Amino acid sequence: MSEFSFARTPPASREMSCKAAIVGIGETDYHDDYKAQRARAPGYQAPEVEELATRAFERAIADAGIDRKDIDGLACSFTYGGPPPDAMANLLGLSPRYSIANGNIMAGPLPAVCAAIAEGKADTVAMVYSVASRAIGREYGGATYGSGEGAPTSYYYYHPWGWSSQAAHWAMMFNYFANRYGATERDLGAVAKQVRDHAALNPNAVMQKPITIDDYMASRYIVRPFHLFDLCLVNDGAVCLIVTKDDIAKAMDNVPVHVAGWGESRVTKSKLQAMVKERLRLQMEDSAQQMFGMAGMTLADVQHFGCYDASTMHLVNQVEGFGFTPPGTGFDFCKDGQMGIDGRMPTNTDGGNLSGSYMHGWSQVVEAVRQLRGEAGPRQVRDARVAMTSLVQTDQSHPILYVRGDA
Amino acid sequence: MMVEKRTSRTLGTGHDTFWEWCGKGELRLQRCASCDHMQWPAGASCENCGSTDFGWEAMSGRGKVVSWCTFERDYYHGLLPMPWNTILVELEEGPLFISNPKGFTWQDVTPDMPVKVAFIDCEDDAGPFRLPVFEKA
Repeated sequence: MSEFSFARTPPASREMSCKAAIVGIGETDYHDDYKAQRARAPGYQAPEVEELATRAFERAIADAGIDRKDIDGLACSFTYGGPPPDAMANLLGLSPRYSIANGNIMAGPLPAVCAAIAEGKADTVAMVYSVASRAIGREYGGATYGSGEGAPTSYYYYHPWGWSSQAAHWAMMFNYFANRYGATERDLGAVAKQVRDHAALNPNAVMQKPITIDDYMASRYIVRPFHLFDLCLVNDGAVCLIVTKDDIAKAMDNVPVHVAGWGESRVTKSKLQAMVKERLRLQMEDSAQQMFGMAGMTLADVQHFGCYDASTMHLVNQVEGFGFTPPGTGFDFCKDGQMGIDGRMPTNTDGGNLSGSYMHGWSQVVEAVRQLRGEAGPRQVRDARVAMTSLVQTDQSHPILYVRGDA
Repeated sequence: MMVEKRTSRTLGTGHDTFWEWCGKGELRLQRCASCDHMQWPAGASCENCGSTDFGWEAMSGRGKVVSWCTFERDYYHGLLPMPWNTILVELEEGPLFISNPKGFTWQDVTPDMPVKVAFIDCEDDAGPFRLPVFEKA
């Protein structure tokens, strides 16, 4: 399996809005596990997908306050391979009537499960995501990708010119943007610093030590103009979400977090043009329109934003692309503190993928739930009732909208 | 003659024809005979309408550098000298083309700098081929 087996996103429709809610969340110990991996003390054993997934699952059911026998659905999302759903069900002690291999990155899995619940296929689903990216030495560039893996063409087609990697995509986008709007490396540094400041408030973030823009400038280049701190972490971990029918959710102890809307939009031609020159703005606009239409809400309702930040530019591009700030002003928006906890759009308050944890968009969902429950501690956004997450890839956009369910 | 070793090209229907033209020192891209869409990268069918009926249109070889990035991390494990420069060229005819600069580096790049195509001798696992790169115009 590769990260390019996407779950099918069901069409956004009013009837599907708020039919399911997230009532349990579980994560592994990103910070401690990363430290242990770096230290490699004698006897250290690298984590495996099954063990990580089990840990996240046990925490999620404890968080939800339910017994495993209450779970009748299992959705498995293992980016770099893992057991089939029936084997995972056995490991977790479940006998689900609904179990699926559910893509992997957070581009489709949650909407697919919400739709399954709305259609009566299951009442309560455990969604398990797990990766051992670091343990398996996963690389995000070079000859890692070939044409047979369902990867976007741009991941492998330019090998003869020595061009590949996630980083290179966003670096090309940034330099084009910089020519047009005048952004600098220090501006990138301001984004890295902002996200790190958030991570410092999250005891489970992998990187919590604050950085200055000078630290950023002094860090090594990976793909110029991108430094180390422009790029996301590579770490091992798992996330589990317990998703249930809205009427069951109402009777539970946790404040339910309803999944109110989603959307999906893909580039189908001239992909470099769409990514570098148009910065995927059309796809973000289209997918957001689907999502807000489904939820019966608007951008003005959103109080917290979590996006898949493979790079600093990637993050800024989503903040701009969804309309939180006009085109070309994303770096100023960040430097003004508007992405901070008390800013106009608190963004990646858990440290995102850059400093928090690289869980392929899943940790952003967990943070949205924490914020809407009011359980985000020192990084809590005041009175947050509506949150949005987004996973924008090099050629597609997948936003999701969440509403605190005690209204 | 220096032949540079590169990571493998994508080959197959459509791709092969592109590289054959490069072998003759010509930069040609697919133009769909059905919907007129110009397509790069090459493919077996049109990304716009699905047709498999293509013409191969000669490019002028002129363009401008609209972006760049330079690899300091050696993703190809010793195959290429580091740092490794790449540029994004907007061809006169419109398509964006990822390539390498010839005779200049990222430090020489100015916004919309004019460039023209050149072909260098390379080889990959499938054998020798000529690779389109760009020099200052």
